[in-house]
Amino acid sequence: MKRRTSKPRQFIKGIPIAVWMLALVVVPLMFTFLMSFYSSSGLMIDTTLTLENYRLFFTDPLYARILFKSIRLALVISVLSIAAAFPLAYMVSFKIRRGRNMLFMLCIIPLWVSYLVRIIAWRTILGNRGVINSALMAIGVIKEPLTFFLYNQFAIAITLTYICIPFVFIPVYTALEKIPRNLLDASSDLGANELRAFVNVVLPLGLPGLITGFIFSFIIALGDYIIPLQLGGTQGIMFGNLVWSQFGFAFNWPLGAALGFILFAIAVTILGLTSKFGTTEGGFLSE
Amino acid sequence: MKPDNAIDLVGVTKKFDEVTAVREFSTEIKKGEFFSLLGPSGCGKTTTLRMIAGLEVPTEGRILLEGSDVSSTPAYRRNVNTVFQDYALFPHMSVRKNIYFPLKMKRISRSEAEPRIERVLRLVNMEGFANRLPQQLSGGQRQRIALARSLVNEPAALLLDEPLGALDFKLRVAMQKVLKDIQRNVGITFIYVTHDQSEAMTMSDRIAVMKDGLAHQIASPDEIYNNPATAFVASFIGDMNFVHGTVRDNDGKTCLLDVEGRKVTANRAVDLGKGAEALVCIRTERVQINPQRSVENRGSATLSRIVYRGTDYEATCRIGQSEIRAVVQAVAWPTELRLGDTVDVAWSAEDVIVFPREEEADVIKYSAEAV
Repeated sequence: MKRRTSKPRQFIKGIPIAVWMLALVVVPLMFTFLMSFYSSSGLMIDTTLTLENYRLFFTDPLYARILFKSIRLALVISVLSIAAAFPLAYMVSFKIRRGRNMLFMLCIIPLWVSYLVRIIAWRTILGNRGVINSALMAIGVIKEPLTFFLYNQFAIAITLTYICIPFVFIPVYTALEKIPRNLLDASSDLGANELRAFVNVVLPLGLPGLITGFIFSFIIALGDYIIPLQLGGTQGIMFGNLVWSQFGFAFNWPLGAALGFILFAIAVTILGLTSKFGTTEGGFLSE
Repeated sequence: MKPDNAIDLVGVTKKFDEVTAVREFSTEIKKGEFFSLLGPSGCGKTTTLRMIAGLEVPTEGRILLEGSDVSSTPAYRRNVNTVFQDYALFPHMSVRKNIYFPLKMKRISRSEAEPRIERVLRLVNMEGFANRLPQQLSGGQRQRIALARSLVNEPAALLLDEPLGALDFKLRVAMQKVLKDIQRNVGITFIYVTHDQSEAMTMSDRIAVMKDGLAHQIASPDEIYNNPATAFVASFIGDMNFVHGTVRDNDGKTCLLDVEGRKVTANRAVDLGKGAEALVCIRTERVQINPQRSVENRGSATLSRIVYRGTDYEATCRIGQSEIRAVVQAVAWPTELRLGDTVDVAWSAEDVIVFPREEEADVIKYSAEAV
């Protein structure tokens, strides 16, 4: 009886979220998808359907090269973010007793500061008269400011890593917090030192959070075009910039739509592949 | 500190900031002994166990494991294993991998470990469950896997932290038997934490009864029941009457007391002088109603309450301001008795236990009157 009545009720509960998804995700995507089969002539959009935009992507090696470069950089950024955020989350979750909430807040406070302000801040840190160069010059290590900090892929990687750290930290921390503490007592009791307890218990149980963090950081890094624009210099044209410039300067919306859709498809594929390894909520025990 | 001791505790004290969780706990636990730590929650029994396991470091005192000092040895290097209250099985590992874990930590190969895993699974009667995940098992089954995991290393002592606490009554009684049988079969020293007095009484060779970090008495179940060291132990174990009295005379062997204007004799050494305020204790099942034989302590009382409890009757008898409860086997109950009847209540002088009145504050009251 209960089962029979709960099904329509569940259905009704699902309507708002379905409408939301439809209006804000599915419909715009459909428009983009449709747009990608149009072509542009001058400032007009020709609505006859064509595969020309996709042909261009697959024949002009420029696009594939930039896409490959973007994916590679996004992977590096994800790995760096995890390398920075996982130990941080482990420390805050397991090692700190007092002031844990404050530390947690400190880790996510950067999210409250405007994205652009944080980018400008990194420019100030990495620039010719920036914090690093000034400091190095002040202690006499260098005479001339080092120029390899800014306007290259290094600058993009370090800034995007900084942007991504909270997005990795939060799911990893949530997953680590869910690990029952008596499991660590048990592993210690059964002969595991801290390292082996970490490898055998903490890491596997924290893995779902790590995967979620990876997905977040990878997608943020792959799609971003503002940081490459601001800090990337000539090296720093990423796939996101290509998409953006088709809409912005080139006024070739159909090509922009096609490139955007390709990026979207890649992101979805990676999401699908990685989410097989764990749930996206960061909870292993929630079943 | 004899070599055949599994564990020696020497003045072990644990302080958490200002709170003293365990005070100067000392005892010697022999090999193969079933030793229980019994007490109400917060009495320090689990902290004591965790110190033996190495999960807590004692503030003072020493812990010896098979004669060698392990006070500062970390848990992962101590040859003791723990069964945790909620089992602490690794949720991402199958039963087999859970049991293999302690062997893996000792770098024992999979092939070498397999027969040992099979053996402990057989010991806890869980063959055929090796490939299940913990969440696919019932509470009792998880319990047995946790036990198998702790036994596979053949530790010097097995520590059990309220292992049956989460199980329902019938399963708990069944598991008590299983545990006791396993302990007899493998001959490993068991240190068992519980707040359940009947569990401790039925399983243990010796019990440490604890309150507020202090071991009030460490003795055999029989000794603890019949010769409780303090009023707390007397009240925590079994069912006890407590009445106020005054010492009339005391020659060191026999103590004469005045209770509600009546004379009460206690045939045991009592450390109280003449005129001292005393707390007089008699087990409810030792109180007789209208006895045939002559008994030292006898007086008339009014029946104020009768409760039938299946196997027995609990009769509350009023003597002046005091109440004495008598538990009488149902078959021996004089059925003609009614509420308000005047009866003779009596008990032997051997059964009277006397404590100083100050200990009354430690008495744990379970009766409905106390609520």
